[in-house]
Amino acid sequence: MAVDIGGGVGGSAASRAKGLLTWEKQEHLLRLIILILAAVLSFATRLFSVLRFESVIHEFDPYFNYRTTRFLAEQGFYKFHNWFDERAWYPLGRIIGGTIYPGLMLTSAALYRIMWLLNITIDIRNVCVFLAPFFSSLTVLVTYALTKEIHSTGAGLVAAALISIVPGYISRSVAGSYDNEGIAIFCMLFTYYLWIKAVKTGTIFWSAMSALAYFYMVSSWGGYVFLINLIPLHVLALMITGRFSHRIYIAYSTLYCVGTILSMQISFVGFQPIQSSEHMLALGVFGLCQIHAFVDYLRSRIPKDHFELLFKTLVSSVLTLVLVVGTLLTITGKVSPWTGRFYSLLDPSYAKNHIPIIASVSEHQPTSWSSFYFDLQILVFLFPAGLYFCFSKLTDSNIFIILYGVTSIYFAGVMVRLMLVLAPVMCVLSGIAISHLLAKYIKSVDGGGTPKPTDSKRHHKKLEQQTGGVKSEVAIGFVGIITMMLIVYTLHCTWVTSEAYSSPSIVLSARSHDGGRIIFDDFREAYYWLQMNTPEDARIMSWWDYGYQITAMANRTILVDNNTWNNTHISRVGQAMASSEEKAYEIMRELDVDYVLVIFGGLTGYSSDDINKFLWMVRIGGSTDRGAHIKEKDYYAANGEFRVDKEGSPTLLNCLMYKMCYYRFGQMYTEGGKAQGYDRVRAAEIGNKDFELDVLEEAYTTEHWLVRIYKVKDLPNRGV
Amino acid sequence: MFKILYIYFLILQCFLCASKTNAEIINTNVERLLDLSSQLVKTTIKITAEETTGKPITEYVFLVADPNLAFISLKDDTEKNILLRKNKEDLNGDQTFTFTFKKASPTQTFVIETVSSKNIRPHPVEIEQNDKQLVKYNGSLYFYSKYKTRTQKTNVKLSSSNILFHTQQKPFSVGANRIILGPYEDIEALSQQELVVHYENQTPFLTVNTLERTIELSHWGNIAVKEEIQLTHAGAKLKGSFSRYDFQKEGRSDHSAVKSYKTYLPASASGVYYRDTNGNISTSNMNLVRDFIELELRPRFPLFGGWKTKYTLGYNVPSYEYMYNDGNKYQLKMHLIDHIYDNMVIDEAVIKIILPEGSTQIKFSTPYQISRRPNELVHTYLDTIGRPVVTFSKSNLVESHIADFTLNYSFEKVSLLQEPLLVSAFIYVIFLFTIVFLRLDFSITSHSHKE
Repeated sequence: MAVDIGGGVGGSAASRAKGLLTWEKQEHLLRLIILILAAVLSFATRLFSVLRFESVIHEFDPYFNYRTTRFLAEQGFYKFHNWFDERAWYPLGRIIGGTIYPGLMLTSAALYRIMWLLNITIDIRNVCVFLAPFFSSLTVLVTYALTKEIHSTGAGLVAAALISIVPGYISRSVAGSYDNEGIAIFCMLFTYYLWIKAVKTGTIFWSAMSALAYFYMVSSWGGYVFLINLIPLHVLALMITGRFSHRIYIAYSTLYCVGTILSMQISFVGFQPIQSSEHMLALGVFGLCQIHAFVDYLRSRIPKDHFELLFKTLVSSVLTLVLVVGTLLTITGKVSPWTGRFYSLLDPSYAKNHIPIIASVSEHQPTSWSSFYFDLQILVFLFPAGLYFCFSKLTDSNIFIILYGVTSIYFAGVMVRLMLVLAPVMCVLSGIAISHLLAKYIKSVDGGGTPKPTDSKRHHKKLEQQTGGVKSEVAIGFVGIITMMLIVYTLHCTWVTSEAYSSPSIVLSARSHDGGRIIFDDFREAYYWLQMNTPEDARIMSWWDYGYQITAMANRTILVDNNTWNNTHISRVGQAMASSEEKAYEIMRELDVDYVLVIFGGLTGYSSDDINKFLWMVRIGGSTDRGAHIKEKDYYAANGEFRVDKEGSPTLLNCLMYKMCYYRFGQMYTEGGKAQGYDRVRAAEIGNKDFELDVLEEAYTTEHWLVRIYKVKDLPNRGV
Repeated sequence: MFKILYIYFLILQCFLCASKTNAEIINTNVERLLDLSSQLVKTTIKITAEETTGKPITEYVFLVADPNLAFISLKDDTEKNILLRKNKEDLNGDQTFTFTFKKASPTQTFVIETVSSKNIRPHPVEIEQNDKQLVKYNGSLYFYSKYKTRTQKTNVKLSSSNILFHTQQKPFSVGANRIILGPYEDIEALSQQELVVHYENQTPFLTVNTLERTIELSHWGNIAVKEEIQLTHAGAKLKGSFSRYDFQKEGRSDHSAVKSYKTYLPASASGVYYRDTNGNISTSNMNLVRDFIELELRPRFPLFGGWKTKYTLGYNVPSYEYMYNDGNKYQLKMHLIDHIYDNMVIDEAVIKIILPEGSTQIKFSTPYQISRRPNELVHTYLDTIGRPVVTFSKSNLVESHIADFTLNYSFEKVSLLQEPLLVSAFIYVIFLFTIVFLRLDFSITSHSHKE
C-alpha cells in the first residue's frame, strides 16, 4: 500500500514537473489513440479492392442491395415500401418492400440524405461501397465496449485490435461488399453490449436501448434469430445456475416485450416472432421468467411445505398445458413448421439430401478445418484459453460470452457463412486471454516485480493481486512469444485480406506470361451491352446466380434471381437449359424469353461457369413434377463421369446449355498444341462441334467469350 | 384564304427578285469540292462573281437548301475565316446568308465552306456482319445559287473506288475514288437537279446523340471538365446475328464496326477518367502527342450499326491556362466543345459552366449562336449560397465548332477564405460542444448504482 501511494505521488509530482497530463488522463489518451488507430486500420485494410480495381460493388447479392438502395434514395421510403418490382421473377414480380430486411438500405440512404443535406454531393454508389468498412470501424469500438463490460479495459483494447483485422469478418465487409452482414455484425455486438449493460445494471433504460438495438438488428439481417435464441439461452443458464435476480427479470422482460413488438414492424418478419419455432425459446424463457419471479414471490410469502405442494402441481399442469397447446398449434399450422435452413443448421446433411437449391450454394456448405485456421489464425488457439479464464471467474456477463462462443463455434462448423458470427466472439475471448497473460507476465519483465513509478495506480493494484514471482527471463521470453504471435497474426490477416477477400469477382484479373496484369471485364461488357442495345422491356433468361447483377447493371427483366424463393420457377429455367432445343423453345416461348445469357469459361479457364454448374440445373430442373423427365444420370457418360468430350452422353451434347456455350467454339484454337475447340476448364476437346442453332441466334459474345447472349427467334412466318 | 395568301406571297417574291436581280450579279466561275469520304458532307465552293453592269459588288446572298447544314464560313482575299450568320427570313424555305464585302469591286473571288451532317445515308439500311457498308448521297448537281452561273465544275471525293452508281450527266469523268462532274455551262439561277452517288463508305458513322459538358471552375487552381456522351452507330444496322468468332477472325481495320476511336484532350489534362454507370471502363490508352493528349477510347463492346453506348469522360486542367484576371475581374476562355472523334457529329450539346460561389456580373459571349438557358444554382462541397451555373445548348455541331467562348465575371478574393473558415469553425464548435458537454452533469439523481 505504501508503495502504491509513493508511486502515485511520485508519478503526479513528475507529471507536474514536466507539465504532462495526470496518469488517468494519459491512460485515457492512450486508450483513445489505440481505439482510433484500430478503427482507422479496420477501415483502411478493407480498401485493397478499391485501390487495386475501383470503387465498385462486388459479388451478386450486393448488386440487389445496391439497386434497392438507389431506388430508396431516389424515390423515398413510401415508394420503396410499396415497391412492386416487375423486373424480377417475370411474370410473377416481387414485392420488394415486404420481402427484404430494409436496415441496410435505410442506413445507406439515410447517410446519403444527411450528406446531401450538408452539401456533400457524394455518389450513392460510393456510400454503398464504403458502408461496410465504415461499420467495421464502429464494430471495433463496440467490441471494445463489450469486452470492457465483460472483462477489463485491457482485454477490450486487445479485442478491438484483433477484430479490426480478423479475416473471418473482413471476408464479408471489404469495401464494395455491400451486404446485410456488413452492418449486422455491428448491430449484433451492439445489442450484446447493451444487453450486458442491462444485465449488470438491471435498469429499464439499458434494456430498452438493447431492444432498440435488437430492432435495428432485425431490420438488417435474418441472422437475428441467432441473437433472439442466445439471449434467452443466457437467461436460462442464469436461472439454472441460480443467478436469476430482479435485474435479469427486468432486463429480459423489457427486451423481449419491446424487442418483439418492434421486430414485428418489419414487414418481412411479420408475425414470425410469435409463430415460428425459431422464436419459441425466447417466448418460453419469457414465460419462465414470469413464473420464476412469481415463484420467488410466493416462496417468500408461503410456508415451506405449502409451497412445495403448490410448486409441484403448478409445474406438472403447466407442462401438460404447454404440450397440448403446442401440438394443437403445430397441427393447425399456426406455428410454422421447421424450415429447411434451420434443419440444415442442426443437421449438416439435411439440406443436401432434401433441398438441392440450398445445397447448391457454396456458402451453405459445412466449414472445413483449414478454413477455421485461414479465417481466424491464432484465435483458434487462444479461444479455449479465453474460455478458461472466463470459467475461472464466472460472472453473469461471462456466462453470456461463454454461451455465445460455444454456440457460434457449433454453427460456424455447420455453415461456412456463419464463420462471421464466430469471428467477433473469437476476438473477444482471445482478447481476454492475451490481456490476462500479458498482464500476468509483463510486470516481471523489468526484474523482481518492483513497479516502476510510471505505472498507474489502478494497474498496480491489479498486478499486485495476480501472482508474481516469475523470473525476468521467463517473462521476457513469454512476452516475446506473444508479441511474435500477434505480429504473425497481423501478417497473416493482411495477406489473407489482400489475396483472398479483395477481388471484386465482377472484374477478373489474371497474370500474363510476362507478368503483366490482364483484366477480364466481360461481365460488365455484357451487362452494359444488354442495357444499351436491347429493348427496354426485354426478358432475359439466365441461371439464377446472375439475376441480381442483370437487374442492377443491365436494368432488364429477368426470370429468376438470387432470391431463390420460388423453387418451381427456377426449376423451369433449369429444365429449359437441360432440354433439347425444341423442348427448350417451348419452355422459352411459355416464359416469354427474349434473350438467354450463359457464362462460359472454356476460352479463358474461368472455372465457375455454367457448364460446371450445369449438374445443379439438372438436379433442380428435375426436382419438380414438370421436370420429371430430366434425370441426372442421362447427363453422365457411360462410365459415370460428367464429360463434355466425345465420350459425353448424347443428352448432354445436345442440350440447350451445351449448345449455347459451345456454339462456334469448335472452330476456335484456344491453346497451343491442342485441337480446335479445346475447353480449358474441362481440359477436353469438345464432343459436339459442328452444329447450328435453330431457335436461337447469337446476339452478343464478350471479348473473352465469358458471357454469351442469344436472342430467341420469333416464330417463323406462315408459308415461309 | 390560302389562295389570297399565295398570290400575295408570289407578288412579294417577284418584287423581291426584281429589286435584287436587276443588279445583275452572275457567277462567272464556280468550282465545288464535295468531300464525301466520311459521314460528313464537306463542301468547298470557290466562287468568282461579276457584276455585269460594272458596278462594284457590295453584297452577295448565298442560299443553302440543305436543312442539315451544320457550319458555314467564308474566306475572302484577306484569308480570314468569317462565320456567317443566318438571315432571319428564308427564301422559298431555303436558308439565306448575306455578306457584305469590305472592298467593293466589280469582280469578287471568295471561298465558302460548308459542313453538313446526315446527308449520307446507308443504303441498304441493314447489312450483315461481314457485309460492306454502302451509302447513298443525295445532293444537288448544280451549284444552287440565287444568281446565274456561267461555268461550274464539281469535284466529288469519295472514300473508296467502289462506286455503284452516280448521276450520269455529261460531261463527267471517274477516277480512283473521285468523280469530276462538269464543266456545265450557263445554268440558270435557282435551278436544281439531283445528284446521287451510291458508293462504299466504311468510315465510322458515329453520332453523338447528346453531349453534356460540365466545366467546373475552382479558384484554387483547377478546372474540372466532365463530358457525358451518348453515342450511336448511325450507319447501316446490323442484320441477323453477331458472331464473335468471325469478328475476331477478321480483325480488319476497315470494318464499319467501331472498335475504338481517338479523343483529343488538352496537353495539360490530368486525372483522366473514363467510366459509365457500371464503373470504370478499363480499356483505353493515353498518349501525349506534342501539344495535346490522344486518348484511345474503346467502348465496352464494338459498336455495330444501330448499337448505342453511353459513357462519362472527365479530366482536370490547371486554371492558369484558361483564366485571366484583373483585380476582381476574371475571364475564362475555353473550348465550347472539344474533340471527341474525327469527323464528329453532335446532335445536341448542353454545356454547363459552374462558377465559384459568390461570382457576380456574369457576362458571356460565344463565337456562334447558342441558345442560352436560365442560370441555375448548384450546391456541392462546403457551399452555403450555391454556385452559379451558366447553361446553354446548341444542336447539330461538327468539328469546326470547336472554338473558344469568353466568360467574364467578378469575384471577391476574400470569399476564397470562406470554405477553410467554415471547416475550422465547424471543428471548433464540435470541440467546444464536447468540452462543455463533458463537464455538465445531466443526471437527475445522485449516482447511487454506479459501478
